[in-house]
Amino acid sequence: MTTVNIISLNKTYPNQSLPVLKDFSLSLNDGEMVALLGPSGMGKSTLLKLITGIERPDSGDIQFDSSSILNVDPNKRGAVLMFQKSYLFPFLNVEDNIGFGLKVQGASSETIHTEVKRMLNLIGLPGIEKRKPGQLSGGEGQRVALARALVTNPKLLLLDEPLSSLDTTVRMNLQEAIRNIQRELGVTTIFVTHDLGEAMAMSDRMALLLNGEIVALDKPENLFHRPRSLAAARFMGVSTFLSGSQLPVKKDVCSSSEKMFAIRPEHIRIQKEACKDSTPGVVSDCVFRGEYIEYQVNINEMIVRARMPMPAPMFTHGEQVYVKFAEEYLFEVEN
Amino acid sequence: MKQGFTYLFRFLLYLILIAPLLLFAAYAFSTRWFFPQPFPIEWTVGTFQRVVHDSQTLSSMVQGVGIAFLVSVLSLLLALPAARVLGLRKFRGRQLAWLLIFIPSIVPPLAVGMGLNILFLRIGLAGTITGVVLAHIIPTLPYTIFTLSSAFARFDENYEFQALALGASPLQIFLKVTLRMITPSLVVAALFAFLISWSQYLLTLLIGGGQIITLPILLFSAASGGNPATIAALSLLFVAPPVLVLAFTARSLNQHGNEIREQY
Repeated sequence: MTTVNIISLNKTYPNQSLPVLKDFSLSLNDGEMVALLGPSGMGKSTLLKLITGIERPDSGDIQFDSSSILNVDPNKRGAVLMFQKSYLFPFLNVEDNIGFGLKVQGASSETIHTEVKRMLNLIGLPGIEKRKPGQLSGGEGQRVALARALVTNPKLLLLDEPLSSLDTTVRMNLQEAIRNIQRELGVTTIFVTHDLGEAMAMSDRMALLLNGEIVALDKPENLFHRPRSLAAARFMGVSTFLSGSQLPVKKDVCSSSEKMFAIRPEHIRIQKEACKDSTPGVVSDCVFRGEYIEYQVNINEMIVRARMPMPAPMFTHGEQVYVKFAEEYLFEVEN
Repeated sequence: MKQGFTYLFRFLLYLILIAPLLLFAAYAFSTRWFFPQPFPIEWTVGTFQRVVHDSQTLSSMVQGVGIAFLVSVLSLLLALPAARVLGLRKFRGRQLAWLLIFIPSIVPPLAVGMGLNILFLRIGLAGTITGVVLAHIIPTLPYTIFTLSSAFARFDENYEFQALALGASPLQIFLKVTLRMITPSLVVAALFAFLISWSQYLLTLLIGGGQIITLPILLFSAASGGNPATIAALSLLFVAPPVLVLAFTARSLNQHGNEIREQY
């Protein structure tokens, strides 16, 4: 349906010295869902405002299907929003809420009626047409908000932390629901979140955003297993970084000390006995998380965090252990 | 026991509110009610009929309601943009803006009225309905702005962004979303403006210059005349429109109050 090109956007708010977005570029294929992941206040919401036309960029371009939309009125752009709060109009019932977009665009009442019915079936809540937003649960409200956004057949769907205020079970269900509906309708989607798990579960590609710039952009599985840069690796939950000289295993590719290597916490093994290429250390902290145990081991004043899946050997605070970095899981990162 | 107190309290509350009206009614519908008698002996609708059939009474009521209605509408139109900015935005000079808006209700109305009279005489607005309506806007505006700004302080602009993204034009957003969201406060603000204008005596007298007669003007002249039955009858007519407006808006207020509560 729509390919989206965002080309070197710059945006600095007046009275602020630092830019919110710096040479920001991103391309989305037709029907693709790209997650924008980053700490709050990193320009994600500003980007959505630029796309919907609430704000104007200082420079750069936004294109839908290769034609610029910067001079298109915000209400003609076809970019719809879904926020953390449903923002359903409290004075309208569910049917009129979902039908709002069609109505203001001048659709006939029969069209609205059938479309609303179709959307309610799609979101799995048939028959709630006459309910008021106040009578819906948080999850239902978000489903209706999604239906209201999608009924207009938008070019681009923008999701701004849509699940952040929901509890875990509802959240999981909705992740699935949104993902399925998005795939079924094939609507191009930008999904803004600060939750890594959610971004990985839902998106086709993931962009890591830091200080208004994309530091990494790839499929979730690639980013998870092999983040290229130090910043990206930190984002993905990696906390152990070793310089070439600190490596207990001598990777044949390079043993020079300028290179940085990283390893995911779940690939670090902690054991009682020494073995080949293991390093001695002292357990400084131990947290039982149910599915896994988190250990912090002190190796020559460097703290290494390991995550051992259960069942795992239990070590106590202060115990002498040996840490093994599995060679096949060590990867190089750019500093 | 506790319920008994509640009922007693309620009864007393209603009594305080209704007693003056009952007294007015007693005066208006009785005749020859003199001092030692605790209650009127002879009842009549004569005085009331006379007052109602007086052409001046009716025209003053129509004029007063018309002016109050116009004042409500104009005051709301003027207050909406100001209240929106004051409620939604933080900017330098906000306190000063509030002060400027409230100044007319702090300065003695006589001073405002006299000054305004000279100005209106010069530009030919004295003694006209337009002049009186414009003058009434001065004391009503602070209240309408204040009421609406508190509505906008609770207003979330994301509702408008949603409507915009769904394809609504600015006018559609204003009519279908913004106005609907602030309707309860809009009704309250309109009510304030109506009541203030309806009961305005001094400004009507000064600017109207005896040519624009509203019910308060008639009431004041009757009060100095000293016929209690006429005063009482006019007073009953005077409270009628506010009570009607209040009864009408109370219903819609309750309804909208529930809707607002539902969204949280």
